[in-house]
Amino acid sequence: MAKDKITTSSTAEYFSKNLQQVGFSSATKAVLTTLKEAVDNSLDACEDAGILPELNIEIEKKGNGTLKNTDLIRIKVEDNGPGLDLDDVPKVFGEYLASSKFGRGRCSRGQQGIGISAATTWAQLTSARGAQVTTKTKRMRNAVSMVVNVDIRHNKGLVKNKESLSKWDRQHGLSVEFLIDGRVQLNGEGGLLTYLQGTTLVNPHLTLTYKLPDQEKVVIKRVEQNCPQVPDATMPHPHTMKLGEFIHHSHLFGPIALKSWLKKGFTRVSDNIIEQMVKHGLKKEYLAKPVNKLHQSEMKEIFAAVQKTELMAPTTRSVMTIGEAPLALSIRRMGEIDFFSVVTRKPKICDSKPVAIEVAIARFLDRQGPRDEEDSAPVTVLRFANRVPLQFDKSACAVVRAIETVNWRSYGISQRTNNLPLGPYVFAVSVVSPFIKFKNASKETIDASDELVEEIRRALMQAGQRLSRHIRREKKADDLERKKEHIEQFGPILVSALCRIVKAPAKRKKQATDGLVKLLGRELNQAKEQLVQAEVEVKKVVAQREKRLGKGKGKKDEDAEAEA
Amino acid sequence: MAGTQTDIPKMSKTLCNRLLTDLENARRPVLEAIKCSLDNANYSGKLGYLTPGDKRVRTELNVSSVQKMSRAIFLLEILLRNLETGAVNTKRELYYISKGEVKHNPELAPLDFTDQSESDSIVDFICEMLVCYREDLNCFANDRGGQTYSDYLVVTEKLPSGGSATVDLGSLGTTPFQPKNRPQSLKLRAKKKIDFCLVVESEGTANTFVANGFCKRHKSILVGAQGVPSNAVRGWVKLIQDQLRIPIYFFGDLDAYTMQNIYRTLKAGSAGSLIRNSDFSAPDVRFLGVLPEDIKKYDLADYAVRETDLQEARALKKAKDALANDPFFKDPRNKKVSQILKWLLKNKRRCEQQAYFMVDPRDPAKPEKIIVEKIKKKNYV
Ligand SMILES: Nc1ncnc2c1ncn2[C@@H]1O[C@H](COP(=O)(O)OP(=O)(O)O)[C@@H](O)[C@H]1O
Ligand SMILES: [Mg+2]
Repeated sequence: MAKDKITTSSTAEYFSKNLQQVGFSSATKAVLTTLKEAVDNSLDACEDAGILPELNIEIEKKGNGTLKNTDLIRIKVEDNGPGLDLDDVPKVFGEYLASSKFGRGRCSRGQQGIGISAATTWAQLTSARGAQVTTKTKRMRNAVSMVVNVDIRHNKGLVKNKESLSKWDRQHGLSVEFLIDGRVQLNGEGGLLTYLQGTTLVNPHLTLTYKLPDQEKVVIKRVEQNCPQVPDATMPHPHTMKLGEFIHHSHLFGPIALKSWLKKGFTRVSDNIIEQMVKHGLKKEYLAKPVNKLHQSEMKEIFAAVQKTELMAPTTRSVMTIGEAPLALSIRRMGEIDFFSVVTRKPKICDSKPVAIEVAIARFLDRQGPRDEEDSAPVTVLRFANRVPLQFDKSACAVVRAIETVNWRSYGISQRTNNLPLGPYVFAVSVVSPFIKFKNASKETIDASDELVEEIRRALMQAGQRLSRHIRREKKADDLERKKEHIEQFGPILVSALCRIVKAPAKRKKQATDGLVKLLGRELNQAKEQLVQAEVEVKKVVAQREKRLGKGKGKKDEDAEAEA
Repeated sequence: MAGTQTDIPKMSKTLCNRLLTDLENARRPVLEAIKCSLDNANYSGKLGYLTPGDKRVRTELNVSSVQKMSRAIFLLEILLRNLETGAVNTKRELYYISKGEVKHNPELAPLDFTDQSESDSIVDFICEMLVCYREDLNCFANDRGGQTYSDYLVVTEKLPSGGSATVDLGSLGTTPFQPKNRPQSLKLRAKKKIDFCLVVESEGTANTFVANGFCKRHKSILVGAQGVPSNAVRGWVKLIQDQLRIPIYFFGDLDAYTMQNIYRTLKAGSAGSLIRNSDFSAPDVRFLGVLPEDIKKYDLADYAVRETDLQEARALKKAKDALANDPFFKDPRNKKVSQILKWLLKNKRRCEQQAYFMVDPRDPAKPEKIIVEKIKKKNYV
């Protein structure tokens, strides 16, 4: 795949003053965001180049930070991707809004070229040193390392200490290291481990090595040997845009005639459709005019006509899925699993945008809490937008809204109505779309439109149904155990008390005990039969799943609907 | 209908023997008890109290009920022992006695109650099964209320020891007589003809009336109910009704809670105690006030029922249901009472008994005067 041209668009000053808006609002978040931006970039770059990613992450405390209550943290992310040309390094790490992915309508992780330069800025502001980058492309003879700083006044990357390395342990790749003020939080919603686990889950093709402070080094091997195919970009659908976005979109195309812009800049617009737009009030004389010369009032008219025209829904070919089989393998990498279910939905159109939902629900043996789920904590929710874990502001998110509004009790999971279900489960929900709408600038909350929430609910309900057989079998086993216990405990007490009250002889006691065992034994046998039946059903779903997942990758889960 | 104390051990043995025989034959033993709930409550204006219908709660021995059954037999054994020795206990004491048994007999550990409500419900279950009063099992509650004042009433109690004790209420001053446990063993006598009995919802207000000279001025009996009448109060008022045959009036707040939970229970018993209403309700009691029309007539301060007043909000909700399903409120004889309930539902207002004190704030006897006037003018329902 040819490297796209990297463009710059604005000044760094604004962002350097507003770092809190892009993930640097606290010491713990600063570490997470820096890691996240570097990892997202590595994974995107590998995928674009068709390389199976191997990432090496080191996070280490180096002493006290300059800010109050912070440590000096070293964060290093190393990949085996295509590497960057030397000219591009200062642009990528030192310039804001320099991205190859601008408005391209792809399901890539990075979307606007802010993240990694913000990390450089934060490092520079807190430790007086920018990004330490080492890069090698296939064409370069030697790897080159350098320090990149952001020239905040001019939004330019400045290179220092450039040196050629005579040997590097890889043919191509990129390594970036930041020294920043921050604090390490491992677990919980904003934790680094939570991030790494989530990233592992939705990237079955990733081999990840990481070393975190006070932790053993961990190596997680890939379980999928094919690199995911990120579908080509799709242009946005005109009906998903507001007027402002419509006008902004026109700025990206330069002096191009309105007619060509409409056809090139959008999906589902053809000559035929343009005729329809004219019928709906689009003035013919505008069509030949360059878009950048059109007045705002004229754009407003055009926009109105476009909205009135009926258009086909966009194609769903621009979205990708991880697939049930890889997900099923990947979820096992998160810990020892009791049972699980995965669902990959066929891509759908929601709010005129293509979207693909995938769900994995698993119960982990090592997360087992109280036996009675009523007393246990809510399930762990992992949310993903274009395979990037979302770790903050979950309450208004479409994913959480969807989970809360499914009736999990009908699948055997405890839940208070319209709340998160309870128990030692992990609920992972991935939303993939080239045009994900977020609730706010921090991009942690997926907008909960009715159509999207409904689509997520369907995926969840399918997963719940598949899970319910396992839970039923378990409940039956518990039931049998409890019944056995009950009989053993209460039977003898009941008989003895009766005998004492009526002053019955030992012979009667013996006979009554036998009778009781016989009576309740019948029930016990019934419970046993039910357990056997439930076990048969579990075997059935597991076999079905095996068959489904064995059908080969890429094949969408067509029988999911039928089964549900 | 209720068994007498001497029957209980015999009945229990018969029951246990049946259970044992069933077990010997590998038959599923079944325990039957009267269903004590509104859907099994009948009411006839002639009797005047709620009686049980034909519905029974059947508990079949199975894996799930074996716990309840063994707990019932376990507690029954303790109660039978009490009957044999004449020992009495409260429900709370029984809870601790059963815990003590478990402590001293580790094999009983599975029976252990973790909360008094668990043992209480088993005691109730035994009563419903044997169709007897808790008191018949020598189990007494620490009953609240029933503080009684009168210058003319003499009470004679037959003691369990065989003797008797006599209390002349006229000699007690403002100190009340309080009936306990088994009102059925009390004998009442009026020294002079007593004109009426007044049951006051608030025991504090009853005492105020007495201190201000109510009993000196009127040949009467004053009883403080202290909220929802306990068994002792219910049995006591029934006794006054039956033995003295004098009119009885109830004076309390005008609100849905008082109408349903206090007045109705006093007059006709409750759905939860179907098997004991015959001895624990006084159908002749009349509702003297506060009546809805009193608010205007005496210009009393009243209040809107607040959403935050959970008890009242719940009572109003229940009132709607009562008007539709409660045989007491549905009976034409109690039409005037249900009209008050309807009025409360419609207007969502409440007025407290103490509001009578605002009519003439400088005359401490004013509420008394109003009450007596209402009795004279038959201004009650
Ligand atoms: N590790 C890397 N290897 C190769 N190319 C990279 C790497 N990191 C960043 N890039 C390139 O730099 C561009 C800018 O990255 P970034 O500023 O994070 O913006 P975004 O990720 O939003 O596109 C990416 O689009 C990609 O082409
Ligand atoms: Mg990026």
